Amino acid sequence: MIQLVSKRLGAMAVIILVLTAVVFALQKASPFDPVHSMLGPSASREAVAQQRHALGLDQPLPSQYWHYLTALLHADLGMSYRTRHPITADLATFLPATAELALFALVLALVLGTALAVATTLRWRGAGVLRFVLVAGASTPAFLLAIGGILIFYQLLGWLPATGRTSFTDAPTGPTGLLTLDGLLAGRPEVTLDAMGHLVLPGLALAIGPAVSIGRVLRSSLVGNRRTDYVRTAMAKGLSEGSVLRKHVVRNSLGPALSMTGLQIGLMFAGVLVIENVFSWPGIGQYTSLSIPVGDFPAIAGVTLLLGAGFVAINTIVDILQAVADPRIDV
Amino acid sequence: MLDSSPHVAETPAVAEIDALHVTLRRGDQDIHAIRGMSLDIGPGEILGLVGESGSGKSVLAMSMLGLLPGDARTSGRCLVHGDDMLSAPAEVRRRRRRSSLGAVFQDPMTSLNPTMRIGAQVAEAAESDEEALRLLKAVGIPDAHRRMGAFPHELSGGLRQRVMIAMAVAGSPSLVVADEPTTALDVTVQAQVLALLRSLRDQIGCSFLLITHDLGVAARVADRVAVMYAGRLAEMGPTGVVLREAAHPYSLGLLGSRLSLGSSRTEPLATLPGEVPDPTRPPAGCPFAPRCDLVTDRCAQEPVDPVEVAPGHLSACVLPIEQVRGATEKAREKEGAPPAGTSGHPAGSSTQPQGDVAVDVRRVVKTFWVKAGRGRKQRLAALRDISLTVADGESVAIVGESGSGKSTLLRVIAGLEHAGGGEIALGHGVRPQMVFQDAGASLTPWLTVGDLIGERLRRERMSKPQRVERVAAALAQVGLPADVAGVRAAQLSGGQRQRVALARATVVPPKVLLCDEPTSALDVSLASGVINLIGRLRRELGMAVVFVTHDLSVARIVADRIAVMYLGRIVELGDAEDVVHHPRHPYTRALIGAVPDFGADPPALPGDPASPLRPPPGCSFHPRCPIAAEVCADPDLHPRLLGIGHGQVHQVACIRTEVL
Amino acid sequence: MATGSTATPVRSRARPRLLSGGGTTRLSQAAAGLFALTTLIALLAPLIEPYDPLLPVGQPQLAPGEQGFLLGTDSIGRDILSRVLAGWQSSWWAAVIVIASGLLVGGLVGLVAGTFGGIVDNVLMRITDTFLALPAPVIAIAVAATLGPSFAHTLLAVGIVWWPFYARIIRGEIRTLAARPHVEAARLAGAGRIRLGLRHLLPGAVPTAVVTASLDVGSLLLTLAGLSFLGLGQSAPAAELGADTAKNLSFLLQDWWIPVVPGVAVMVMALFGNIAGDGVRNLLGDR
Ligand SMILES: Nc1ncnc2c1ncn2[C@@H]1O[C@H](COP(=O)(O)OP(=O)(O)OP(=O)(O)O)[C@@H](O)[C@H]1O
Ligand code: SF4
Ligand code: SF4
Ligand SMILES: [Mg+2]
Repeated sequence: MIQLVSKRLGAMAVIILVLTAVVFALQKASPFDPVHSMLGPSASREAVAQQRHALGLDQPLPSQYWHYLTALLHADLGMSYRTRHPITADLATFLPATAELALFALVLALVLGTALAVATTLRWRGAGVLRFVLVAGASTPAFLLAIGGILIFYQLLGWLPATGRTSFTDAPTGPTGLLTLDGLLAGRPEVTLDAMGHLVLPGLALAIGPAVSIGRVLRSSLVGNRRTDYVRTAMAKGLSEGSVLRKHVVRNSLGPALSMTGLQIGLMFAGVLVIENVFSWPGIGQYTSLSIPVGDFPAIAGVTLLLGAGFVAINTIVDILQAVADPRIDV
Repeated sequence: MLDSSPHVAETPAVAEIDALHVTLRRGDQDIHAIRGMSLDIGPGEILGLVGESGSGKSVLAMSMLGLLPGDARTSGRCLVHGDDMLSAPAEVRRRRRRSSLGAVFQDPMTSLNPTMRIGAQVAEAAESDEEALRLLKAVGIPDAHRRMGAFPHELSGGLRQRVMIAMAVAGSPSLVVADEPTTALDVTVQAQVLALLRSLRDQIGCSFLLITHDLGVAARVADRVAVMYAGRLAEMGPTGVVLREAAHPYSLGLLGSRLSLGSSRTEPLATLPGEVPDPTRPPAGCPFAPRCDLVTDRCAQEPVDPVEVAPGHLSACVLPIEQVRGATEKAREKEGAPPAGTSGHPAGSSTQPQGDVAVDVRRVVKTFWVKAGRGRKQRLAALRDISLTVADGESVAIVGESGSGKSTLLRVIAGLEHAGGGEIALGHGVRPQMVFQDAGASLTPWLTVGDLIGERLRRERMSKPQRVERVAAALAQVGLPADVAGVRAAQLSGGQRQRVALARATVVPPKVLLCDEPTSALDVSLASGVINLIGRLRRELGMAVVFVTHDLSVARIVADRIAVMYLGRIVELGDAEDVVHHPRHPYTRALIGAVPDFGADPPALPGDPASPLRPPPGCSFHPRCPIAAEVCADPDLHPRLLGIGHGQVHQVACIRTEVL
Repeated sequence: MATGSTATPVRSRARPRLLSGGGTTRLSQAAAGLFALTTLIALLAPLIEPYDPLLPVGQPQLAPGEQGFLLGTDSIGRDILSRVLAGWQSSWWAAVIVIASGLLVGGLVGLVAGTFGGIVDNVLMRITDTFLALPAPVIAIAVAATLGPSFAHTLLAVGIVWWPFYARIIRGEIRTLAARPHVEAARLAGAGRIRLGLRHLLPGAVPTAVVTASLDVGSLLLTLAGLSFLGLGQSAPAAELGADTAKNLSFLLQDWWIPVVPGVAVMVMALFGNIAGDGVRNLLGDR
């Protein structure tokens, strides 16, 4: 067990190291010159040279990479050209909003995915139609879901808000940064309710694609497991349908769905960048959208590192969970 | 013993099958799996149900358990204690399964839930952990208490099957349906499991429906035998009667083509030409008609129902029993003279190795490193100091249980695997050719037979028509028409595939032909044809043959000499007849005793075949050896093959031969 | 070490038949039809565009059907139908290029790794797995954002993250095939490494590669549209489906069709891709 965990953590460290190398290499390959971005086009040659030296850009690449790594270890991601703040501080400001949205979408995706899997597995008249709806869901870009949601639930029906995280100007800002929690902690349930309302549309837009993927994988492993020899054995024992399903089918079907969930988180992170844009959600996605047009590379790099590392960490946890659940998995 | 069936006709049957028809759906075709079967099983009776693959045995089992797929169409009745397992409500069927039925399936690995502990799985059927433990002990699982916490993949095949049996007999069912329960097991383990089934019957008094493709297995434990063919009952009667006085031409054919330790080595084996009918288009009359020598005009017209030919003995044939028996006798006499085309005996004379050496294996060692979980690697000693010489034109069979290293030895000789030590010398420096167990898998699926056979001719410069001609000649030699060259493996039947594999191996005749269980995936009726063919090719092309098999009766037929392997070592080597009829090593004796054969029933060898991951020190056989002495476990002991008798051609690796 | 199931590719592999029940042949025919339709629209786009997609040709913000503009006009009076057709064309080309290069690079890596096994396999697959363990869409965004917006950069960015998946799948298929006795039989028949790889292994992996690629078209189109939405595609005024939605978001509440229509076009295209993918899988068997 300890060996398993340490091996997976080792693998995770290697992958994150590669991630930093990729980001570093990108930075070097970028046509944007950081010095020009910082000093502006009218800077004198000497000033540019001086700044290059100050930033260590006149050193050989390996040593630049080394400096980059050591800086990373001190949580130093550099300065944003656009906001002129340390990127670490920027990210800390915007992360909670994104985390709340992503978590909410993840839970939605799991619930919806399970429901879809069960609904399409059972034999009922709507199953065929539902399956077509699923293909359609899997083919719809998140931004279309988002604007469709706004048109219907905000403009047409007026049920849900279309932008931002909250309608309160005096919403609590701490301690967790997650409004739904902070509302409760501050003893203001109306803030929590309102935050939930704001979460529904962006959360759904983010969750539907992953939910379909998770649902499909879960469904096919449920169907596959029902045909196994050991389920036949369980039936032959005279167990009731319910306990065959619970003890033999469902348990052995969770693994693939869990892996799929881990992988879908990558898509969801990319989706966040798009969706926050549509809903003016004050999170990392919006921060990134603003950074892209002005070529604020350090900011983009910081976001990439954060999301990439998060993805790798989540999948490492999924892996470990799976090895714990299935005695056959070799370390 | 076999004839004294405890089945008494007056007692009410545990299960009654009456005019059962089952039609299944595959793709957009109807599979007529069972087409009118009637039989009953008495209390405490073991009914052996025998048939070739595809004859409908497993569908019958599923019908009795009430577990047919939802789209199956059925008619007739399948009563268990009066409840119809075809039409009763699901809940009633479930209760019947729970209280009166048990089931054992072929592959115990896939039939157990891989992520659930053994104890929990047995307890599901046994209601409590205490009862589960008691059952595991009752089916002979050593150290049962600890094994409760094990996962299926941590047990050996034999133990897993015992776990399945423990679940089947939980709650003292009145009928256990066992579908090929020993097919996936080694012979010695098979003998143990069969003995267990019978002792459970004696203790609990439950009946068994024992499904098997091997007449020998049925002969060993069944009170009555039912022979199925193409979804219908061909013959049914008390075991001894059916085996000795079979009344149906199909049963006679099966019995005739079945190999035993007493089969003649000098005549070609009797074969059952042709194939089972296509289940999507079953014939109207007797399904055996296309393969039957005695077929008459009446046979193909309407279904032939079983009729009683003697009390308790049914046969489904239009001919009177005397006529069937008479004709078979005559056919047997005729076969005495080799028919044209299959000239001569399969094995060739029992020559001693002389002349030039074709293969010389000297002190070969092969070790694999396998994953042992937790990221560690473990050494697996597959071959431990093997020496073996095969003379030009000689045939040597290698027998042993699974994991004994037979296939590895063959692969090392073929050059597919590098030996970790020792030497392999090939007399002629030419690469040997090999025939694999799964012939279908050994043919590249997207290439045509002609491409595959022609591939071996690439080195030889010849024109395209010449090549086509050579391919056709090679096909003709294995008894296939030339147009087979244009088809792909998937379009051929199992027997044809094995023939194509042989044609490919012999289009340029090799000096050495290696055969890895070439018949074990085939039904008996096809296997004997392939064995005859290998014998004929060997003589015509002057090849030496090394033939790996787990079946001693096959080894005896195909080989001049037999080498018996146990855990990576040869423990006995000698003339085929000598080894089979005068075995000297205790392991060989146990192996021969375990061959399921009519009448024979020596006590089963205890214990599992030991794992090559942890070969016991000294003589590796000592934990199971009935005559082991204390020195046998001495780590410094390395029993070597030593000659016994005159000529020293019979060699045994046992330090206690004097006791034998 | 970087191997292990972290990297197990599950991208739409375990997808159950979606529209089963309707008969295999009907689905395959529908799929073939949709595939042909998509391709035809893409290739003929310049001919069937009613107007120049880049120039204002009518009053701004006309509703669909008004003054003969089938899908209306955008904020500066360009014909939305023409822009959608042009965007369809560039999405089609982008998908074709990314998939073709992914199959080529991934197929080569997979074939070499699978055929040679041993160290070669180990090294190639470690690299592949490491890439697979990173979130592909996020990396693609980072690459495109760093290189600056342009069609070529988008393709490069997506191409870089797209091949490892194919390499994994093709390598896996080749390894499975390589474990079959037919490869050993071919070795004994005298086939060398290269002949083994090209004749006895590669053809067996082709159906899997085709099925994988066709099941992948839908998600590729969505990824490309997402990049375009973030402004990482061709620069203005080129017609691009994702970007046309993004740039016109401010009109959503008054003239909804301006941002919605290009998004719907993406959906239709991805839907066609997904159905066609299912059809191909049905035709070539579940792999
Ligand atoms: N490539 C390999 N890697 C690791 N272990 C192997 C390999 N090939 C064979 N073994 C192991 O070597 C041992 C001997 O194998 P081998 O296949 O020769 O046995 P066998 O007697 O032919 O058994 P069977 O009757 O099941 O075919 C087995 O434990 C097997 O698992
Ligand atoms: S009924 Fe006719 S074909 Fe069938 S077994 Fe009897 S003789 Fe042969
Ligand atoms: S050496 Fe000992 S253990 Fe081995 S077979 Fe002979 S008597 Fe038995
Ligand atoms: Mg073997």
